[in-house]
Amino acid sequence: MTQTRIGRRAALLGAAGGVTSFAIGGKAFGQGNPVVFGALPPLTGAGGPYGPAMLRAIQQVVEEANAAGGIRGRQIRVVAEDDQTNPDAGVRGARKLIDVDRVTALMGTWASSVTTAVAPLCWENRLPLFTVSGADSITLLPHQGFIFRTQPNSRLQISTGADFLLRQGSRRVFHMAAQSPFAQSSQDVLVEKFRAAGGQVAGYVVYERDKTAFRSEVDQIMRARVDTVFLNGYLPDVTILLRELFRAGFDGRRFTPAYAVNQNTFQTLPNEVTNGVITWQPSPDVESGAFRRLQTRFGNVEVDPYSAQTNDHAALAILAAAAAGDATGVAIRDAVRRIASGDGEKVDNVTDGLRALAAGRAINYEGASGPVDFDERGDIRGTKFRYERAENGRFALMELR
Amino acid sequence: MIQDWRDLVQVLVNGVMAGSVLMLPAIGFNCIFAVLRYPNFAVAGYATVGAFAGWIANVQWGLPAGLALVAAFLVAGAAGLLAEEAALKPLRPSGALTVAIASVALTILLENVVRFFFGNSLRGYDLPVLRDWRFDGIRVNPQQLSNTAYALAAAAALFALLAFTRLGRAMRAVADNPQLADIKGVDPDRIARVAVFIGAGLAGFGGMLIGLDTSIDPLTGFRVVLSVFAAAVVGGLGSIPGAALGAMVVGIGEEMASVVLEPAYRTVTAFLAILLVLTIRPEGLLGRRG
Amino acid sequence: MEAYLVAMLVFAGLYALMALGLNVIWGLAGMVNLGLVGFFGLGAYASALLTTKLLWPMPLGWAAGAAVAAAAGAVMAVIVARLRGDYLAIVTLGFAEVIRLVASNEIWLTNGTDGISGIPGPWRGAVTPQQFNLIFLGIVWAAVAVAFVALARVSHSPFGRVLRAVREDEDVAAVAGKPVLWFKVRAFCLGAAVVGFAGALYAHYNAYIAPEGFAPLLTIYIVLALTAGGVGAMRGAIVGALLVLLLLEGTRFLAAAIPGVTPVQKAALREGIIALSLILLLRFRPQGLIPERTRTRASP
Repeated sequence: MTQTRIGRRAALLGAAGGVTSFAIGGKAFGQGNPVVFGALPPLTGAGGPYGPAMLRAIQQVVEEANAAGGIRGRQIRVVAEDDQTNPDAGVRGARKLIDVDRVTALMGTWASSVTTAVAPLCWENRLPLFTVSGADSITLLPHQGFIFRTQPNSRLQISTGADFLLRQGSRRVFHMAAQSPFAQSSQDVLVEKFRAAGGQVAGYVVYERDKTAFRSEVDQIMRARVDTVFLNGYLPDVTILLRELFRAGFDGRRFTPAYAVNQNTFQTLPNEVTNGVITWQPSPDVESGAFRRLQTRFGNVEVDPYSAQTNDHAALAILAAAAAGDATGVAIRDAVRRIASGDGEKVDNVTDGLRALAAGRAINYEGASGPVDFDERGDIRGTKFRYERAENGRFALMELR
Repeated sequence: MIQDWRDLVQVLVNGVMAGSVLMLPAIGFNCIFAVLRYPNFAVAGYATVGAFAGWIANVQWGLPAGLALVAAFLVAGAAGLLAEEAALKPLRPSGALTVAIASVALTILLENVVRFFFGNSLRGYDLPVLRDWRFDGIRVNPQQLSNTAYALAAAAALFALLAFTRLGRAMRAVADNPQLADIKGVDPDRIARVAVFIGAGLAGFGGMLIGLDTSIDPLTGFRVVLSVFAAAVVGGLGSIPGAALGAMVVGIGEEMASVVLEPAYRTVTAFLAILLVLTIRPEGLLGRRG
Repeated sequence: MEAYLVAMLVFAGLYALMALGLNVIWGLAGMVNLGLVGFFGLGAYASALLTTKLLWPMPLGWAAGAAVAAAAGAVMAVIVARLRGDYLAIVTLGFAEVIRLVASNEIWLTNGTDGISGIPGPWRGAVTPQQFNLIFLGIVWAAVAVAFVALARVSHSPFGRVLRAVREDEDVAAVAGKPVLWFKVRAFCLGAAVVGFAGALYAHYNAYIAPEGFAPLLTIYIVLALTAGGVGAMRGAIVGALLVLLLLEGTRFLAAAIPGVTPVQKAALREGIIALSLILLLRFRPQGLIPERTRTRASP
């Protein structure tokens, strides 16, 4: 607590200093070298369905910031490398971004294994890593504050999801989990929550993500006679499971993280199969402009949560650098919490944020993926969750809390 | 997990469904092997190419699934033939292994050609999703049933071709003994081209069947490739009836494993099936010695 | 930039070690091994677990990594020695997938898909990251040099000659009274040990391993390295590894220069170019850049 307070005071001093130097530097500063950020999304491999949109979100935010004058006059450049959803390739890509392109922030890593492999490079080279990876272990690494994770850890995500299911009247749930770092921790949280409420996790299956047939697994779900199935997987496998559940005539609740059922699912499956599927994800307030803005940019389609998060990665890095008046990795790390939380002016986009900072005002960025307030470990906190039901190829809001 | 006979029957039904999807790529793999004597790992790539060709025919041109399957067969067959002539055939003098390794590279190349033009998004065919039929508690899906029928029909057509036509007899002759066939006036080069076209075409046909049951992306073929190899080896490399039988064994084995063992170990079952068969009967269930 | 080059040379050294190991199994004994990444993974996991959980000193962990991979290689060789090359290719490919799946699922041992982080590295933390890189560069390339000298000796020893004889014609070797199986097992063991050692070094360099890192793609890179360098020649393995890394990293800069394509298309082009170069190499230089001098095969 003390630390944050000191941080804030230092922040104000820093911001004041930054403004002064800007004023003095004038045009010369504006013509300085561009600020370079690195993006490391999965463009091939298992993360392939997500990476391209994640990268697009980052690039659009950077374009917007450049149009708004950049970071204190300095233009921003994004260099992207494909992590191939593979830690080995991820490390080589990160090395290139850090050592050749001299990026001062890395963003958009997806697979937990890639993030964990790349993280030591980031803290050793003293630059922040913004990630969407879900493994709980990531923020427990000795990262000296260099990791910012916009994806809620599985404890937070699953316990709020379980609370929602219980509120909806669910008592017997089947947990169908893709093999992932958070399958087991999700199961532990789910069992704890349902047992406490007098319910039961009536089945738990961990499946291989790369398979194309899940008939026998679906038979197990049918036999368990549950009122809810929790599909804790990713886009390709959950698409197959939804089809198979429909065929089998499963008429209970189907609950899944929002990244597992998105716009792409609607293009792949007929509406009668997807209708009624409930998704949830961390979310900003209803009145937040950030999400709406991103949706418009994406051509008025449903935005998947990972793109919402990378949108915020870019915005956070840009605003932090602007607030610090310095685009080094350490400066960005130290400034992120200052512009992401606190009683500053609420902004939901980089244009407003940069303008407010240039005017010397403190800001609190509220992103497309939520209020993006980080705790001392780099996990998000205080976020709301949005529960939506698929209706004829769109998502209809059920609840936001 | 298996409580009464119905559960057992259900697993068998599931296994047959899963196996019939693996069957055509496995037959395609063995068809090429029978004539050219090298394992063509590019069947994964051909399956993906076929799935996308079928998607264009079905979704963009509005053809019904049956005709789209024909398109999948033709395009994948043509792609296979082209790749064989341009990339693999010149390598044949360097030995079967060299060709096999090049075919691994070819699969990656095809995957990325598809990715270049179509991106990574999932795509689905324009087909209603039908509810299961139930027979005394056993669930069977009409869509999957028709997929099985398509697979069996394609396999039967190949059997008929091999058994009753001049071309088929020539193919069998080359598979048995290329030198002898050459003496008898059969052009082994022509037969090789036919075998590759049919083999790659069947892989593409099978790739679209996989897609009908799931959704497609550049990794469609890659996901099933290990099971396909397992089916081919279990049945006996180069044996076409063997590939059909092997696909059923692997399909049923994998579904069985997900009930008895753990679903996360499906692929391990395929591998164990390979090891078991190779230990007891190295030439495969229906393969020949030598 | 220097840091990047040093890091890439470390990777190249690791690839060279793997290519050397593969060269014993494939180049000398003629047994194809598409499960290379499985042995690499075994070595990595063995050393990582022993040094983090049982706190073994690092050199012992590395030795254990090599030993575990060698043992697995021996078992594998006994099972597959009778098989023809085409079966062998499929079985070894499957083996690597099994290793990856076991590593993903046996959470009690391997920590599952979370992987193992915080694997110690020599003097990591006590020196700057760049110094650590340089230290590791020395270690890896020293290992490459030792393996190169040792394996080149093996290659020209009576043992190596028998292996080549087995590769060219097993039956002739058997008729000549050589215990073919025993020679194959030893070759497989030796090759797997080198690959396992490379895996162990990799784990301690990266400080983190996870099942996803041991995907078949890596095997393909190493096969590419050996094919490019020249199957059979130990120098070829090293040259090939350097070339592959140049290709992997060079395509990055190449793809960045192509205008008018989306990032996904660039990524696709990159992977496609790598695959295409393997095919072209096999086509136009099947003997590799450095052909095996002692090659005895009469007909191609």
